[in-house]
Amino acid sequence: MQDLMVNIGGIVLMGAVVWWFWLSGSDSKSADHQHHH
Amino acid sequence: MSEAPELKTTLSISGASCQGCAKKIRNALEPLTGDTGLVEVDMEEQTVALPDGINAAEAARIVTETGYPAEPIEAGANEGGSCCASEKQTSCCSKKSEDQSSGASEEESETESRPGSEPSTASGGGQVALSVSGATCASCVNTIEKALMSVPGVTHAHMNLADNTATASGDADPDALVEAVESAGYGASVIEDEDEADDRKQEEDKKQYKTLLVKMAVSLSLGLAVMIWGMGFDTMMVTETNQVTWINLGILTLSVMIATGGHFYIGAWKAFRHHNANMDTLIALGTGTAWLYSIVVAGFPGALPEMARHVYFEASAMIIGLINLGQALELRAKGKTSEAVRRLLDLRAKTARVIRDGQEQDIPVEEVQKGDHIRVRPGEKLPVDGVIAEGSTRIDESMLTGEPMPVSKGEGDDVSAGTLNTHGSIIYEATRVGSDTALAQIIKLVKKAQGSKPAIGKLADKISSVFVPSVMLIAIVAALIWYNVGPEPAVVHMMVAATTVLIIACPCALGLATPMSVMVGVGKAAEYGALIRQGDALQTAGKLDLVILDKTGTITEGHPAVTRVHAADDNEQRLLALAAGLEQHSEHPLAEAILTRAEQDEVTAEKVTGFEALNGKGVQGEFDGQPVRLGNRRWLEAEGLSVDNLTDAANGITEEAGTPLFLALGNEVLGVIGVADAIKTDSKAAIERLHHAGIRVMMVTGDVDATAKAIASKAGIDDYRAEVLPEDKAEVVSEMRGKGYTVAMVGDGINDAPALAAADVGFAIGTGTDVAIESAAITLMRGSLHGVPDAIEISRATVKNIHQNLFGAFIYNSLGIPVAAGLLYPFWGILMSPILAGAAMSLSSVTVVSNANRLRLFQTSHKPHADEQKE
Repeated sequence: MQDLMVNIGGIVLMGAVVWWFWLSGSDSKSADHQHHH
Repeated sequence: MSEAPELKTTLSISGASCQGCAKKIRNALEPLTGDTGLVEVDMEEQTVALPDGINAAEAARIVTETGYPAEPIEAGANEGGSCCASEKQTSCCSKKSEDQSSGASEEESETESRPGSEPSTASGGGQVALSVSGATCASCVNTIEKALMSVPGVTHAHMNLADNTATASGDADPDALVEAVESAGYGASVIEDEDEADDRKQEEDKKQYKTLLVKMAVSLSLGLAVMIWGMGFDTMMVTETNQVTWINLGILTLSVMIATGGHFYIGAWKAFRHHNANMDTLIALGTGTAWLYSIVVAGFPGALPEMARHVYFEASAMIIGLINLGQALELRAKGKTSEAVRRLLDLRAKTARVIRDGQEQDIPVEEVQKGDHIRVRPGEKLPVDGVIAEGSTRIDESMLTGEPMPVSKGEGDDVSAGTLNTHGSIIYEATRVGSDTALAQIIKLVKKAQGSKPAIGKLADKISSVFVPSVMLIAIVAALIWYNVGPEPAVVHMMVAATTVLIIACPCALGLATPMSVMVGVGKAAEYGALIRQGDALQTAGKLDLVILDKTGTITEGHPAVTRVHAADDNEQRLLALAAGLEQHSEHPLAEAILTRAEQDEVTAEKVTGFEALNGKGVQGEFDGQPVRLGNRRWLEAEGLSVDNLTDAANGITEEAGTPLFLALGNEVLGVIGVADAIKTDSKAAIERLHHAGIRVMMVTGDVDATAKAIASKAGIDDYRAEVLPEDKAEVVSEMRGKGYTVAMVGDGINDAPALAAADVGFAIGTGTDVAIESAAITLMRGSLHGVPDAIEISRATVKNIHQNLFGAFIYNSLGIPVAAGLLYPFWGILMSPILAGAAMSLSSVTVVSNANRLRLFQTSHKPHADEQKE
């Protein structure tokens, strides 16, 4: 049971990292610097 | 050097923020002016200067259509300089704009009225420079650039980690920019006055250095004390007897962690809130995990198997100590890299002795105005640019041009701020003051180039933006593997592996690799009199395999000089005196050459009357009642004179690419004078250096084939193209690029601008005009061709240094992370300690910075002036 919890916890944590830093960049505008020409 | 016609500020524009824009505008106006060289775009003032007589309304229409809203500046509005050109600017017209209720906001006028300050709003495509604190790694660079880009009106943002400044281009409120950076977790302030900012930064760095050392001492002492106590007097395992002590030590560790490493936790939290992760994130997570685990062990030892009751308080404290030490060392090394700019800044004089209303008075250099007369005594520095009005002297310009010999200057000669008057007392009229002086422009150019990223650095940035979250994933995966398949105590191993991975991964080395080297390389080049405009040029210059040289003014002196005086009766003085007597009436360049030679040889010109110039033949006059003629062979022979006895001397002159001029008095031919555009004394040596560097050298010239051939063979050039019109030089460049060469074009002026722009790297040689400087990637302040191999050697060394740094950072991470994750454990039972990881991480960034600093010692293969550089 404890093993299962730790593994699920790890996977959830990884999902959270991916989601927070890559998928949900709410206020970080596109990094494509739109130079005007 | 070609002389540019006087340009007059004609248009006010907006939106031109880079050299690309300036080029676009120049090209668009070419049909109107006939030459891109006759358009000057001032991005600081957002104005365009055009030659007199150009239809301003038409020019404004063209520029507006090109994408930069423009309007003509009415005559009179522009008197006294190019400011007050439009409402949005500028620094020197605040008083006027108050009176004229110009429409600029109060806030704007207030910022703009500060003397010497850069226009600080980004309105109309200007730039705002910010001083940023707290940025430590490549991820920070990304975060800050993103934050600036999110401010409405910003079109381009750039953060330079090497000197901790950020610039935002576009139309944005500086306060909003500061706010954006601050909310991303960093400190920021607008740079109003560059000098003040530099001084303040130096002070702050000193203070920060000391603070970091104190913090390092505190956290390392605690870590060591805990370790000694645990290992020497007790045990690092929590038992019933020492449980309370460990809890107390845990609380003590936490307070020290907050006191000495609080900035990491705050930085990490702020970045996290903005969905960003940086070096702070890794440190905070690593040390936090170790502390949390330990406090759980100390508080509830029963919850864990006996083998897993190990505490890691000392690791948390020591990691913070080591990273603080690394940052302190890095800060000190960083200070050294900007030495080149500081040396330039130090060249400026603080005061000037101006003559106003017949009175001499010392005033601060900022108060000197255009048109002021300034007295400079021997041994004094020149405060501003100007033209000598009275007196003559020798001026040491080595600090600007790298030219070691003082240059003789007399009335009417240009002088530059920052140079040293070595000889006589002079009075000169100020023509360019404040940020317009050549020195100020050089400082600006160097600073800008130091902050720019070559393509290779952009790749590193891209990698590091995904780096930190990836490391977090690797840490979790490593922890799970240890938990599932690792030996007992699995929980301890899992925690140690995760912490070590987080701590060892260092994006700081990756982030510092490029900017540090660029900063040192550009500074080094400036020391040798080569101004590099962008980091990209640095990278490309390292790859060059063909250098195309313009002939006149580049390989040669650019003006004819007498190369040989051969008298039939050996009386060379008389020959020269008669020739000078004739030529003093002429304004032909050949005449100037003969007069200069006569002056050098202290020969007094004879009195010749009835001067007449005969096109295509020569000149003639009368001396002592006899006709005196100076001209080509064909003409004299047609007049019935024989020059056969001078054939050998004449042939010798022709072989050296010179023009023989025969002089006859009455019916007797007295001798022959050779005039040629002489090859600069060091051109051949410089070309040899290029060959030595494996670079092919080619010459383009408008001269006839015979002259070109003579010059090419004399200078040791591999290949030449003769009779090339100035406008076709660019085609030759493109053709050679088409053949697969990486081509540099070296030219000296407006004529060469298109070719300079067409080349992979353009070198403007000599103290070029603004136009030449703008179209060239690299400007050589000296007239010597040695600047080309110098710049190439420095570029190669810099690119090599960047490669070493990136390779080092890459190897460090790709070896460090797997080892930290425990890859060596199955084979040798080695699992790295988190403390060692902290030390390694600090070492990696210190190594990168030190390696970049090594470049400061680089010397080119030609260094006559290196040891004569003035401090």
